[in-house]
Formats: sequence, C-alpha cells, structure tokens
Amino acid sequence: MRSILHKTIHGLFLILGVTFISFLLMVWFGPDQTYTLIGKNATASQITEIRHQLGYDQPFTRRYLDYLVELFTLDLGASNSSGEPVSSILKRTLPVSLALMLPGFIIGNLLGIALGLVAAFRRGTWSDRLITGLSVTGMSISFLIIIIALQVLLSTPYGLNLFPARGWQVDGLSSYLAYVTVPTLSLIMVTLGYNTRFYRAVFVEESSREHIRTARAFGASPATLMWRHVLKNSLVPVTTRLMFSIPLVVISGSLLIETYFGIPGIGKVSFDAITSGDQPVLKAVVGLTAVAFVLIQIMADVIYRLVDPRIA
Amino acid sequence: MKTAPGHTWFKLRQDRVGLLGLAIVAVFFLLSLGVLFGWLGQGWSVADGGRWEPASVNHWLGTNLLGQDIFQRAVFSTRTAFEIGLVVSLLSTLLGALLGALAGWYNGKPGQSWVDGSILWLMGVLDSIPFYLFVAAVAYALQGWPWAMHVAMIATFWTTTGRLVRAEVMRIKSREFVLSARTIGLPSPLILFRHVLPNTQHILLVQATIVFVAAIKTEVILSFLGLGVQDGVSWGLMLAESTQEVLAGHFNNFLAASLMLFVLLLGFNLLADALQDAFDPRQASL
Repeated sequence: MRSILHKTIHGLFLILGVTFISFLLMVWFGPDQTYTLIGKNATASQITEIRHQLGYDQPFTRRYLDYLVELFTLDLGASNSSGEPVSSILKRTLPVSLALMLPGFIIGNLLGIALGLVAAFRRGTWSDRLITGLSVTGMSISFLIIIIALQVLLSTPYGLNLFPARGWQVDGLSSYLAYVTVPTLSLIMVTLGYNTRFYRAVFVEESSREHIRTARAFGASPATLMWRHVLKNSLVPVTTRLMFSIPLVVISGSLLIETYFGIPGIGKVSFDAITSGDQPVLKAVVGLTAVAFVLIQIMADVIYRLVDPRIA
Repeated sequence: MKTAPGHTWFKLRQDRVGLLGLAIVAVFFLLSLGVLFGWLGQGWSVADGGRWEPASVNHWLGTNLLGQDIFQRAVFSTRTAFEIGLVVSLLSTLLGALLGALAGWYNGKPGQSWVDGSILWLMGVLDSIPFYLFVAAVAYALQGWPWAMHVAMIATFWTTTGRLVRAEVMRIKSREFVLSARTIGLPSPLILFRHVLPNTQHILLVQATIVFVAAIKTEVILSFLGLGVQDGVSWGLMLAESTQEVLAGHFNNFLAASLMLFVLLLGFNLLADALQDAFDPRQASL
C-alpha cells in the first residue's frame, strides 16, 4: 500500500515533467498564434485583445498552470483549422485508432511470445537459429518499406488486389476486415522481429534458473514447463514490455499508418495538426498521451503486485 | 562483466556473421566517404532525364518523376544516412554516458542522491512522451530548422544508454580499485571519469551501434512525415517520393532505396549482435 502511494507521487512528478516539456515546446517556444487567428491587417486594439485571449500577456507560471488546468478539465479549446472543439475531435478519432491498432498489437505480441518460447526451448537448434535470423532480418526492414510493399502486393493491380488501397469506410464487420487487414499485417511484420527477440531473451533467462532444472528433473512435461514455470514467472518483464510499447508502437505507429492509408484516427489528426501548425490540437494530443502513459505506468505497478506476489 | 580487449577482438574474429556485418558497414562507410569527397553520387539533383525512364546505360536504375538519376540519389543518400547516424549516435551516447555516470555515482550518496533522482526523473519524463509526437513538438517549436530532427533524436535516444551506464557504474564503484583510488585521496571526478567510466566502454560501443540503426530508421519515417531531412536527399525522402509512384507502377525509386537501407541496417544489426556477444560472455551463452 505504501509503495503504491510512493509510486503515485513518483507518477505525479512525471506528469509535471511531461506537461512542462510539452508546454515549453508547444506553448512557450511555439510560434506566435496572433496573426494566424486574426489575419494580417488587424488594429492595435484587436491585437492586444487576441493576445490577452491567448494569454500572451500572462507570466510564465500562470500560463503553465492554465495549460495544466486545460489538460485536467479536458477543456482544450477548438481546432484552429476546423473550429471543432478538440475534445470532440478526440472522441471521434480515438475509437478509430483503437480499432485500427489493437488487432495488430495483440497478434504481434502473441506471435512474438509463441515464437520466443519455441526458440528458447529449442535453444541452439536449427529452429532457434531460423527464428533469430528472421527476427534480425525483420528488425532491419523499415516500417515504411513494409507498408509500401504490403500495399503494392495486397491492394494494387500489381499484386493480388484483394483489399482497398487506402481509406476507412467501415460500416460493419466485412468492411472493417477489408480496411484493417493490410495495416494489421504491416504492424505485425514490423514489430514481430523485435518482440520475438525480446521474449526469447526473457524466456531463455528464466529457463536457465534453478527451479526450472528442478521441475525438469521431477519429470514435468515440456508444455507444463513452458506454461507454468517459464511463462508465468516471466509475466513481469512481459507486462513491462507491453506497457512500454504502447506509446512506441500504438501511438507512433498510428501516426504513420493512418497518414499513409488516410485513416481518420488520432494519428492522422496529429499529423494534420503538425503540418498546419494547429496548436490547440497538437498540445492536447502531446500532453494527454504523455499523461495517459504515466497513468498506465502507475497501473502497471499495481498489476505487478497482483500477478506476482514476490513484489511486495 | 567485461572481457579483456584482446579476447573481445578474438571472439569477434571467430564470429563470421558478425564479420559479414562489419564488412557491409565498412563498404557503406567507404561509399559515404566517396560521396563526401565528391567522387560519387554528385549528380543526384541533376534532372537530365525524362520522367520515370527505365534503367539504361546513362541512368543505371532509371529516373524519378523529375528525371533525376535514381542510382546517384541512392548512393548520395549513403552520406546522409551516415551523417545522421554518426551525429545522433555519438552525441546521444556521450550524453547517456555523462548523465548515466553521474546518476550512478551519486546514487545512494547521503545528501547528494538528488543528482541521481533528478536524472532518473528526466529519463522517465523523456521516455513518457511518445517519440514521434516529441519530434513533432520539437520541429514545431524550432520551425523549419534543419537540425530539429537531430536534436529530438539525441534528446530521447540517450536515456537507454544512460540507464545501462548508471547500472554499470553502480556496480563498478564498489569494486576494489575504486575503493583504493578513494583511499589514496583521488578526487571524485577523476575517479569517475578516469577510472570508472572507461570501464563502461563495452556498453557505449554496443549502444552506439544500436542508436545508429534507430537513427537511420527514424529518419525514414520522419522524412516521410515531412519532419525529417529538409534539403538534400535521403533514403527516407526517396521512399516518400515512391509512395505515389508505386501506385502508378514505377518501382525503381522504392527498390533502390529500400534495398540500400535494408542491407545497411542488416549489417549494423549483425555487427551490434556480434559486439554484444564478444563483450558479454553471459549474454552470449543465452
């Protein structure tokens, strides 16, 4: 209990840090918004007024506190380009991104765990060497190359032409499957190499421990060994891996995949905000994802205590 | 644990796959030097061909939309890749070594452990901001400045190196030679930077190669998103160009850039693995 409290305080400091950095970059050092909002031929009084609205006449700490209040009340203002409130943009796009990224994230990790287990248990055999070799090959292919290649092979007349090349017109299961398949395959291919290698190392480390040798000596079957003794004892590094790959894979991945395939999710929204300099959207996305990630880390600590009684 | 340098080199020489990686990296490095000294790839921006010409004697891999020679562009991009990779991996390794060493050294020192605490906090903060959004934020704050991408990568890539160095310094500082250095009254900075930090070089070398790979891969994504290389040419920019071309059936740009990129990254990954194995017998036995 005390350590959970400790973790929460630690998390609060992290939240202060990430919001401070995103405030510094996006608001304090960010470009002056005055003329984007009122155009070039403004009167002096209009300029003073809009600068007051934007808070430019306020001191540093006051503006940082205002930014924190905006983030925590989710009162994030409206997009500069469309005028739509940022909170409604997030509500509209977040489900799309989750529907797009989750299948690939889950399958990629499950396959990685399965291949990692196989490689760890047949350590040194040709199947281990094949799996590790393929992982290194996979790690050397750029995300962008995988996306382009899969798109050409699966959704253009130059390949099998099975799926729509881009877009997201989802109104049921079959259209969902049609649009989600190529992005999901790309995500799996780009993460599988890293996942397999990581999980293999975790499982190899765990299976070289004494208790595994003992269990083997007592005649536990390979399946029991893998499942009960290796996998269960590796839950902590596996959970950490999952938690930490959320910002890396899901958020960064959605930025690239949605931009490439023209899918209206949170990644596409952030990309558009980057290119058009839409500050209200950008600072909300950066601030909120960072805060969300810190919250996930705190939750992960609670989960560790639930899955692993060794951590007290 | 570190092994002796002679032994490391011996193990590296035994590792054929690792040597292959080293050879690939060396070939690409020579290519990039050739570009740097003006012997290769100098015609990368000359548009003297027609649109999307097929491969010919004049244009070995054909031309792109603007009639520029794809082979020249692919070769010139080697230099861009090494420039980004070297700058980012050197500076982020340096930063990671410095801050990681300070954090590890001051860890658990009464009255001074706040140094460790703040550096750990900084790492936690930087690791919590999704990377591409961080780059976007830096690019946004620095509006069009060509080094925005480098700065963003250096600012985030050092944390892993920092954590590893911190752990290693914490282990080394309780060893006898450090205790004896302290007993004879050497000042702390001298012990840390002269005697402790050099013993983490195996971590630094491996991390530098890993960061090199990460930097080149990241450049590709950022250039595609318009946040990367601003002028000049890179494999990332070529791939970004090719995203439109492949839909029209022109694959030369895509194939040239992805093949070069893939081979170089494979070389670096194989080298990084071999270095790791050679330096770290415990990992190698895994």
